[in-house]
Amino acid sequence: MGILVENPGVLTTVQDGGRFGYEQFGVSPSGPMDRVSFQTANILVGNPRDASALEVTLLGPALRFEQENVIAITGGDMAPQLDGQPLPMNCAVLVKAGSVLRLGAARTGCRTYLAFAGGLEVPVVMGSRATGVQNKMGGLQGRKLAKGDRVGFSSPRSSLPRMEQRRAEPLEARGKERVLRVILGPQEDAFTAQGIETFLSQPYTITNDFDRMGCRLDGPVIQHKGDGNIISDGMVTGAIQVPTSGLPIIMLAERQTVGGYTKIAAVISADLPVIGQARPGDIIRFQAVSVAQAHQAWREQQARLEELEQKLNGPLPEKKSRENHYRISLNGKEYQLSIQVTES
Amino acid sequence: MDTYTLHDVGDQALLVEFENKISIEVNRKVVALKRALEEQRLFGVGEMVPTYRSLLLHYDPLKADPEQLKEAIAQSVRHLDLSALPKAIVTEIPVLYEGEYALDLEEIARIEGKTEEEIIRIHSQSDYYVYMLGFAPGHPYTARFENPFSFKRRETPRVKIPAGSIVVQLGLSDIIPFEQPCGWNIIGTTPLLACDYRKDNPFLLKAGQWIRHIPVDKAEFLDIKRRVELGCYQPRTYEKEG
Repeated sequence: MGILVENPGVLTTVQDGGRFGYEQFGVSPSGPMDRVSFQTANILVGNPRDASALEVTLLGPALRFEQENVIAITGGDMAPQLDGQPLPMNCAVLVKAGSVLRLGAARTGCRTYLAFAGGLEVPVVMGSRATGVQNKMGGLQGRKLAKGDRVGFSSPRSSLPRMEQRRAEPLEARGKERVLRVILGPQEDAFTAQGIETFLSQPYTITNDFDRMGCRLDGPVIQHKGDGNIISDGMVTGAIQVPTSGLPIIMLAERQTVGGYTKIAAVISADLPVIGQARPGDIIRFQAVSVAQAHQAWREQQARLEELEQKLNGPLPEKKSRENHYRISLNGKEYQLSIQVTES
Repeated sequence: MDTYTLHDVGDQALLVEFENKISIEVNRKVVALKRALEEQRLFGVGEMVPTYRSLLLHYDPLKADPEQLKEAIAQSVRHLDLSALPKAIVTEIPVLYEGEYALDLEEIARIEGKTEEEIIRIHSQSDYYVYMLGFAPGHPYTARFENPFSFKRRETPRVKIPAGSIVVQLGLSDIIPFEQPCGWNIIGTTPLLACDYRKDNPFLLKAGQWIRHIPVDKAEFLDIKRRVELGCYQPRTYEKEG
């Protein structure tokens, strides 16, 4: 038992950290589009960071709890309501059996994460519970949630240690314009100097062609030296392909594993959540950084998650205790006395 | 020494590229380098993705130093030993070349000015080399090296073709693992699954292996198909001669 989907929303899927180890066989990694919000939600409910949780896109679902559990909602603000009352985000809350959780349209960001203490009960496919909608793999029968679906809880909880401290910072508010830091390459040589200059100086608009596979951008054409084709090679999440048209496509969680178009750059890992929370119509500017700078940004981002995890889920601080032993004599009789001193 | 180039790909991957061409000699270097690096079990290195002429290595920047990885790669390329590659494996792919299972066979024969029997013979009497897997789970990119067809893609791609379709152009032949749009001509259909999620090892093929198409009749096709569904069909494999 767990939740019953009364209304699935636009695109609600089960995700975990992603499916790794099968890219060489053509399986894309999938996983969350905004890894930081996703992992934060899991930490808040005491889960391993990459436990299975729900990713909700743009317009949220209505979920009836058939069993109580501790949950946390992070990422884009979809004005969550529990039985008609506003429900706070970015903290752990207990939802009773019979309650209905409703998420509306995203007021900030694009994707919201719902983590449940103990994670979700869906089969593991190739080492992962993540839904690959394109590959019809993982999650709930390889598809997005539908009305009437039931998703079970793996090991629900009624409470968690340090329950009242379980809160995190909300999603950083951003305007319509955002900067993505990139590392140029691996095919930057396939572009003219003018082409690279265009890419790094001009604004690009996110089109409606924006899903879990990738994000097509509109803006000034990036000039190739040739026709934009290469002998197909591997790619990373965040790779920016520029096909013959000269308009960039950012490859995202459910990207293909190989591609035959030139890649001018790749978004640094620490900035992938920024694109995961962007929307059609938002403006992107690209800024080139070094690999060392990207690693620094990644370390800082990981350290913040680590700090939250330690604070909420690390070992409880040991209670200092001390025992003093005395031997006392009372009316000629000897007694042993031990006094335990505790500090709370 | 082999010529290669090394690129950063984003902040968590490296790309090793050999000569810029599609050839079995170049691809064997990719396969050999992957094996060599796997054997070293380099700390912090994740998955390696081999393609026609390059190898992509994912790494965890909290565990591995890319400069040290680049040095390890350079060493491995310097000592690359193609003769140490294991003997090539050939997997037999049963194919039904008739009727609705071979939608374009007649047209292929017309384009090539040959009979359908001759086309089937050409397709089934050479081994095809598996350069890489990609595009969809288990989807192989394969090619034969003699007697290529003269045609490329169809003028209008089909919106959907069924899983198991064997599609061809020039010297290339692919197995379609899942229903998908496709612009290539369908020469036949295999009852085998290029990717079966139910299995521990879901994939029929691996980069660096070979395949051989074996013509079967409708009765054999249906029998194998049923055994595949029941999970009890074992494709025949053998070591490639020479």
